[in-house]
Amino acid sequence: MSITVELTYDLAKALGVRRLELEGTPTLRQVLQATRDSFGTEGATFDKLTRVTALVVNGVIASRSQDTPLQDGDRVSFLKAAAGG
Amino acid sequence: MIKGYAGRILDVDLGNRSFAFRPLDEDTARLYLGGKGYGTRLLYDLTPPGIDPLGPENPLIFATGPLNGSLAPQSNRFAVICKSPLTGGIGSGACGGSFAFGLKKAGIDILIVRNQSATPVRLEIDGDRDSVTFLDASDLWGQGARATQAALGKGRNHAVIGPAGENLVLYAGIVSDERIAGRTGVGAVMGSKHLKAVSVTGTRKLELEDPEKFNDYTKWLRKLFRAHPVLGEKLRRYGTMGIVNTTNARNILPTRNFKLGHHPDAMDVSGEYLEDHGLVGVKSSCIHCPVACGREVTVEGVGRVKGPEYETAALLGPNLEITDLRWVNEWNELADDLGMDSISLGVTLGFAMELQEKSLLQSGLTFGDATGISAMIRDIAHRRGLGNDLADGVKRMSERHGGADFAMHVKGLELSAYDPRGSYAQGVEYATTSRGGCHVQGASMYFESTGPLTIDPQSLRLKAEIPVVQQNLACAINSMVLCIFTTYGMIPKQVHELDPKSRLYRTITYFFERSGPMYRLITKLKLRPLTWFEQWLTYVTGQTFTSGHLQEIGERIFNLERMYNLREGLTGADDTLPHRMRHESTFPHLDSGHPLDQLLPTYYRIRGWDARGVPLQRTLDRLKVRT
Repeated sequence: MSITVELTYDLAKALGVRRLELEGTPTLRQVLQATRDSFGTEGATFDKLTRVTALVVNGVIASRSQDTPLQDGDRVSFLKAAAGG
Repeated sequence: MIKGYAGRILDVDLGNRSFAFRPLDEDTARLYLGGKGYGTRLLYDLTPPGIDPLGPENPLIFATGPLNGSLAPQSNRFAVICKSPLTGGIGSGACGGSFAFGLKKAGIDILIVRNQSATPVRLEIDGDRDSVTFLDASDLWGQGARATQAALGKGRNHAVIGPAGENLVLYAGIVSDERIAGRTGVGAVMGSKHLKAVSVTGTRKLELEDPEKFNDYTKWLRKLFRAHPVLGEKLRRYGTMGIVNTTNARNILPTRNFKLGHHPDAMDVSGEYLEDHGLVGVKSSCIHCPVACGREVTVEGVGRVKGPEYETAALLGPNLEITDLRWVNEWNELADDLGMDSISLGVTLGFAMELQEKSLLQSGLTFGDATGISAMIRDIAHRRGLGNDLADGVKRMSERHGGADFAMHVKGLELSAYDPRGSYAQGVEYATTSRGGCHVQGASMYFESTGPLTIDPQSLRLKAEIPVVQQNLACAINSMVLCIFTTYGMIPKQVHELDPKSRLYRTITYFFERSGPMYRLITKLKLRPLTWFEQWLTYVTGQTFTSGHLQEIGERIFNLERMYNLREGLTGADDTLPHRMRHESTFPHLDSGHPLDQLLPTYYRIRGWDARGVPLQRTLDRLKVRT
């Protein structure tokens, strides 16, 4: 099972990659942990940059139940509020 | 005269080159404020039904409101009203820059331009001498907006058109400084009059009812705006392009002519990316604006110019499957200088690409390929070759070539860059807004998709109520005339710091989603001035304004616009969304698109309209809308 994690601009800048392809992470909670792990010793940076973000699966906010099972090919994103137009 | 108004309408006839100053009507100002509201009232009264939008009978109305000319932040805007050549209904645009300020300094609330000149003409208005000079503009005809304004000089404030307006491109706009009244083809109406430019000067002072309180309050508010996470930070740092990554994560970023709502490389056209790659400065060309959301970029062969806004970046970017910011910058600059709406332009190019893909038109334009687009934009502005076809917008193109199912417009106006399939309230707003598929006539998506406190965008709860309240508020704001961005300040800093994963966040959104009639009731209360819109109007005019007053005025304007559209032949059947939006899903958990049919009857009922979308007589009577 493959999950694509799309990082925010700040996360991508800190990690040096825009997205992660994760295998064997069947729940959102595991995706979150695996993404944090990819920051290695910079886990605090990850925590800081995701403090006011929601988790989104295929465009739908999913943070209410992080144990929600994921499907193969799902896209997980970190959502930051913005304004504009 | 009520304070805040200059008290004068300047009425210019280009046919016989005459002009007259007339008094502003106080009763109309009380009912409609100014700007879009007063302008719509004038358009309704001055014209018979069925006029040709590009004919001499269509007046072009430049309108300011009671806050223009004051020091209120973001009060730099003017509204333009006319019959739209793009939609056949109400045409309106709003523009920053400095022209509104100039008009008020000249002692003019509203400028009406009637009839047509046989040859290119420009106007010089001197408010101190009460003079209008009609000058030959042959030397400027064919010039871009930038060169035209440079030639006119810095001593006056200008509103001009570029070649797109001259050549009657149906989505041509009117430019002031580096801002544009882009939507609904107001620039084509100016071009039809052979009016290249209006320049205005004056040194009159605006009288306020309570200048001391107004100034103290405004000083305090400027500090509040500067410390606000959106107005003082995000918009200031990233501009409106700072929203790209949010709409992309939400799956509502137009991609491949709205076939998709997400592009894997959208980050390359985001405000954050621009900050690190190619941003050369910040543009604050709008007078009295503490936000300075405009970006400054470099375009090869041109130099430093204003950068794209979110809509432009999305619709000339991922919507065309292009994510190279250099191209987006170049096409944005071309659209601005040629004087056309980059929203309609982006959607029209995307439509031409899909027509090519489906072998319905040999446009030579393909998704993901920048080749030929710059040349096509120039051809559109000059109506050359296939550009002549694209200059008419997607509705007319779909009538000629087919592809109505993926022609992304409402009432003929091309859709803005928020896909309503992931933002249901925004979809209702697109479908019902008088000028067509536009996002700044309510910005409902802020409450469900992009803002700091969002309800479920794909439930049916509150999706009819939010557009009503927001459309009313936007009508009032566009009649003051203010920038809609000030509304972002209404969500306090503390809310922006709420973690969406927190219990408090979830509790607030739970109750907000279920507030229904209570939400509408609260906004209608006439207790005392709370927001800055209400405070400013109260200090400026001496009359008390509350949230309830603004809702009432906005509702009145919205219903008058509706009656204008009905008079011109639009019907409830035009309150719709493109077939693709209603029937194709971009979300794996859904097998259909936007549920407009389920929401529209509720929307009509809340509005006090019948099942066909016609305002009931008692609604018009309650609002004092004369027809």
